[in-house]
Amino acid sequence: MITASAGSYPRIGTAPEKQRLRSEYVRLERGEISKEDFARVQDEVTKEVIEEQRRAGIELATDGQVRWYDQISHFARKLSGCEIKGLLRLFDTNFYFRQPVINGKVQWAAPIVVGEFTFAKKVSSIPIKPVVTGPYTLAKHSIDRHYHNFSSLVADFAVAIGKEVNALAKAGAEIIQLDEPSILKNPQEFKIFENAIAEISKNKGKARLALYTYFGDAAKLYDKLQSLPIDILGLDFTYSQKLTTTIEGSGSKKELGLGLVDGRNTRIENVKETAKVAAKILKKLGAERAYLNPSCGLDEYLPREVAFEKLKNLVAITKQVRAEMK
Amino acid sequence: MRKKLESLGLNLPLLPTTTVGSFPKSKEVMEARKKLLAGKLAKKDLRPLEEQATRFWIKTQEEIGIDVLVDGEMYRGDMATYFAENLDGFKISGLVRSYGNRYYRKPIISGKIKWRGPITVDMWKFAQSLTKKPVKGMLTGPYTMMDWSFNEHYPNRREACLDMASALHEEVKALADAGAKIIQVDEPALSARPEELNDFIIEAMDIVTKGVNAYFVTHSCYGAFEFIYPDMLKLSVDNFDLEMSNSELDLVEIFKRHPFTKDISFGVVDVHSHVIEDVETVKKRIERALEVLKPEQLWIDPDCGLKTRTTEETIAKLNVLVKATKEMRASLK
Repeated sequence: MITASAGSYPRIGTAPEKQRLRSEYVRLERGEISKEDFARVQDEVTKEVIEEQRRAGIELATDGQVRWYDQISHFARKLSGCEIKGLLRLFDTNFYFRQPVINGKVQWAAPIVVGEFTFAKKVSSIPIKPVVTGPYTLAKHSIDRHYHNFSSLVADFAVAIGKEVNALAKAGAEIIQLDEPSILKNPQEFKIFENAIAEISKNKGKARLALYTYFGDAAKLYDKLQSLPIDILGLDFTYSQKLTTTIEGSGSKKELGLGLVDGRNTRIENVKETAKVAAKILKKLGAERAYLNPSCGLDEYLPREVAFEKLKNLVAITKQVRAEMK
Repeated sequence: MRKKLESLGLNLPLLPTTTVGSFPKSKEVMEARKKLLAGKLAKKDLRPLEEQATRFWIKTQEEIGIDVLVDGEMYRGDMATYFAENLDGFKISGLVRSYGNRYYRKPIISGKIKWRGPITVDMWKFAQSLTKKPVKGMLTGPYTMMDWSFNEHYPNRREACLDMASALHEEVKALADAGAKIIQVDEPALSARPEELNDFIIEAMDIVTKGVNAYFVTHSCYGAFEFIYPDMLKLSVDNFDLEMSNSELDLVEIFKRHPFTKDISFGVVDVHSHVIEDVETVKKRIERALEVLKPEQLWIDPDCGLKTRTTEETIAKLNVLVKATKEMRASLK
């Protein structure tokens, strides 16, 4: 069992010395510092948030995504065929992303997050998992002015993101997290989704593919998700009453990423109660290698200080689960 | 809804112009707020600066020729946090990102929500005393307050939202008692979870507005209205203030399928762009609105609050908005 991050980590905190990224961004906009100066600040903050995850006791970290404007436009702006437009609310969160408009064929032009991953790997003393937004979710958040056919759009996003996944695998990623929250609200499009995941899976090389779903109830899609060519399945338990019993009933062919800890609420979970739920699932599965992680990334949804407490609490929950499993 | 406006003694021109609520803060207010946060300034010393800035914006709106004014929200940091600070049952969290490089302090519901006294009434009275034109009373709606807060207290979203609505009802009554005739209840979160509209959002708005004699406006932005329209028309308000120009969603097309039955404040300038629209662009947007709405239903305003723009950009955008509206009015006669 591994205690892991599930994505982003808050890039600024309340203390003035933790607000550098914000104030330097303002200076960048005013032309007072160069892009290179700002990139150096991003590097420093990346180091800081990796170190903070390690200090909390996390065993599999991310780079915190401190360079991302949001999880949609960060990818779309580097793919050809996409133009970045107005702000739109991300799911039912209080966070807004920039919406891509598709004006031409979607194509991978150059690595998107590979540089971020290799930097994080270099500066981190614990393993780093790169995160990539999946083709279905990218297509679902775009306005299509070119294809006029949703499945063709998803298919081209899948080819493009497949190339990114391939580049990450070649750069040494052992686990690659593919975020596909959108599928939970659109089960009727599972066929399109399945084809896209197959395309990504073909490109994973030696890496293990972790499909993460969140912001919705995965119970009704659980069996179908189990049939996908993936190695790890990440699940958000905060939206679902039935998910625990569904897993107990169906078992799991995949390693599971258990998002039992709410990444979007400041309330700190009760260690014993949460550990009990996790242990119940894991005993049933006999799963040695499961991941305990927050239900979603933490930037955009929690203040830095609470994010740190959440991760520390998650580590305490893992310890308790280990005790219960004995 | 013209009749309701008239019964309240409000004689507004056709296509009344207004704004969504916030204006950029003056340098003095910004610096004083920083000092206040650092504990280097007393709250009572901030007030004169806020009043001075409010005076500026009331005068500026009059000069531009806006018909229904706002106080500009010089006293607010964030639209949810400000109310949370002034209600029982809330704590305030650290900084959370809302988009790009924008952060806010998110409220935490940590106990039962209760109204402990007027929040916006004094500033509304002050702003209204400066002008003969109507000034809107402004508050953040119950659903948005709930949705934009961490909930550590209530067992579910519904219960948190309905208690919030009862607390805000007291504020709405206090505003109406003070003389506010147009009250805007902002609900930018309106379409966050479409299924909650019928579950409890309509009920919450009923609680807020019930028995209060005022023309109610609700403002919303960046949403997926296709999922809550036309059901959202059941909300007990007279006017929906909707973002239109920054949205790629073509609401006009939706209104062709289901006629819009209330008044609308139609957003015609993008508040997230430095670019000043030209008069022709804004007129085209108004013409587009008139394809599906009667002139009597239509109010003209920016997409959203203007606090993220500079003072110069704000004035320039509003000048274009008023000029375009006046030309449209002339062509409708």
